[in-house]
Amino acid sequence: MIQNLIDGVLTGSYLSLGAIGLTLVMHILRFANFSHAELLSLGAYAALVFDALVTALVPVLAAKLGPLSLTYALLIAILISMVLTGISAVLIDRLVFKRVREKGWELSMVFASFGMALIIRNVIGLIFGLSPELYSKDIAFAMILSRDPLILVKPDQVFVLIAALALMFVLHLILSRTTFGYALRAVAENPSLAQVNGVNLARTVTAVWLIGGGLAAVAGVFYGLSHQVIPVMGRDLVLPIFAATIVGGIGSVYGAVLGGFIVGIAGNLALVVLPSGYTPSIPFMLILIVLMIRPHGLFGEARA
Amino acid sequence: MNMTLQRHLVRGIGAVFGLMVIAGAAHAQECTTKIGTVLPTSVDWGRPIAETAQFAVDQVNAAGGAAGCTIEMVLRDTQVDPKVGVDAAKALVDLEGVKVLLGAVSSGVSMPILTSVTVPGGVMQMSCCSSSTAFTNLAEEGKTEGLWFRTFATTAVQSAMGAKVAQDKGYGSVAILYKNDDWGQDMARLIAADFEAVGVAVTASVAINDGQPSYRAEVTEALGTQPDALYLALYPAEGTAAVREWISLGGTQKMILANSLKSDEFRENVGLQYLGETVGTDTASPRSESADAFRTAYVERFESEPNGPGLGNSYDATMIALLAMEAAGKDATGADIAAAVSKVTDPNGTAVTADTAGFTKAKDILAGGGTVMYQGATGNVRFDANGDVSAPAVIWAFTESGTEEVEYLSLEDVDSFIASLN
Repeated sequence: MIQNLIDGVLTGSYLSLGAIGLTLVMHILRFANFSHAELLSLGAYAALVFDALVTALVPVLAAKLGPLSLTYALLIAILISMVLTGISAVLIDRLVFKRVREKGWELSMVFASFGMALIIRNVIGLIFGLSPELYSKDIAFAMILSRDPLILVKPDQVFVLIAALALMFVLHLILSRTTFGYALRAVAENPSLAQVNGVNLARTVTAVWLIGGGLAAVAGVFYGLSHQVIPVMGRDLVLPIFAATIVGGIGSVYGAVLGGFIVGIAGNLALVVLPSGYTPSIPFMLILIVLMIRPHGLFGEARA
Repeated sequence: MNMTLQRHLVRGIGAVFGLMVIAGAAHAQECTTKIGTVLPTSVDWGRPIAETAQFAVDQVNAAGGAAGCTIEMVLRDTQVDPKVGVDAAKALVDLEGVKVLLGAVSSGVSMPILTSVTVPGGVMQMSCCSSSTAFTNLAEEGKTEGLWFRTFATTAVQSAMGAKVAQDKGYGSVAILYKNDDWGQDMARLIAADFEAVGVAVTASVAINDGQPSYRAEVTEALGTQPDALYLALYPAEGTAAVREWISLGGTQKMILANSLKSDEFRENVGLQYLGETVGTDTASPRSESADAFRTAYVERFESEPNGPGLGNSYDATMIALLAMEAAGKDATGADIAAAVSKVTDPNGTAVTADTAGFTKAKDILAGGGTVMYQGATGNVRFDANGDVSAPAVIWAFTESGTEEVEYLSLEDVDSFIASLN
């Protein structure tokens, strides 16, 4: 039970990171972006490539950080991947979503995002093959926190949790303390009014994609670190991330964080009461329950 | 009279032609009988299975066809989808009028075809590759009407071998992780019963769903029961994720694997250093001359070893179906053909090889009222009352370069072990 709770928090950390980007995009661009989870794959694979590259160029960096299976090289690769994934997200917006947004309806955007998801997933599959890849083939053994009840925690996962929380805190500071943060919130509230007040809409949209893409990349790498990197990881993660976003309330960054943890914990705790064959239904049950009680999600607000 | 004479003449010429120009023989017959084949040709491992079936048809046509007619195999894709498979089978039965249907691969596809197309239509269905014991149950209830056969050993062989490993290694308790689909549920149920039969306690049986972001909760659940060993009926992608999680949480490295994890991907991603105490089970091709002969013929025809799944089984399914058509004679119904299967897989019959010469020989014997024993790619195929076959088995372990055989169990060994479980 305690073990399930801890595992849920750790799972929640990367779901939250993914949900933050999704909630921002959904709120500001007003469409359900089903290709967002593919940015996680993109980030994970970009890190895989640059990890290998950095390790090859500077072999010293292949050393591991303390008890973690994470290497210095991977840490650098994560930073590169964040930038690259952010830029990719902006490019995808310019090439596809922007054009559809200008001409099509809201639903066209949803379909376009489905299409993008399939394209990204399959291109990754074409390049890297369909088999799982790993950042490190060594298995990082779990630390035993307690023998009775048996509680096990992997160092990697503690790192993932701390790093995720740190990133979320930085984002919180940006959103609440900087002019840029205000601009972002203004655009989300009312794009026309924000523009009248001198906020550059195009630049804000670009920033949203950069932030969303960057966080997605980190989430993807963290997922890969805890599990494995596989082309279909976006498909596997899209529903939990959507559940986290909807449960938290679309547009609320804090809601997304909370939603991620709720979905993660619920998924892990479900096994205590449900046979394992039924646990995939949990995110959907959560969406239903939350929407019935609070139609705009836990932190969401109705908008005019 | 004149007509009959003419027909005999044409048939005679056809036979001569068939012997002289093997490739051209297909056109030498005066009539054509269609057989239907439904296989997942759109997936990479499905196409060779279909090609092997066509190979068998070509050899039979070189021997002048079956039941007096050239055989034309009409192939349809199932896309590993029950709906597509049923539609394809329906079209073959209703529009093409086939009396014999070969396929499908997945049990989940073969089953709806059997219950909604072939049994209602009175068509014999022979699958190369479906392993679910659901077919056995259906046959026992008499719902297959004797129209169902398969040349692939049921999951029961695999699970019995898993129990044998646990018994031989002296494991007292085992936890099971299984893929949450028809095959996995079937495996989990069978292996739990088999473990019990050999006195091994099952501490937990946990379903693993495809494509979940994390298997930690599932693994933790199994881990909490502290078993001596772990049994895995999973596919490589989920298997790798679950096993890495299991090992990292300090789970035992004593593992027993189903044949689905006999993969390089699994070995490399888990790491050989953690797989030292792991053994797997698999069904094996028999160590017999006929199996070697098939291998040689296959290499000659396709210029590669028949290493893919279900190739020998597909070949045998096709050959036996065509032999049965020959034995049943012209214009036979599906039920007639199904009833004739026992005439061509008779343990007391004359042995015939699996090639053009063997088919020609079988024709003569069957014409004279005798029975034959088909010796094919999977050995001397013998169906039980439910249309099931058994198979030899191997127990294997991972090595640097792949897998190596630890123990080979002949068909007799497997059968006697399975008998000892009941």
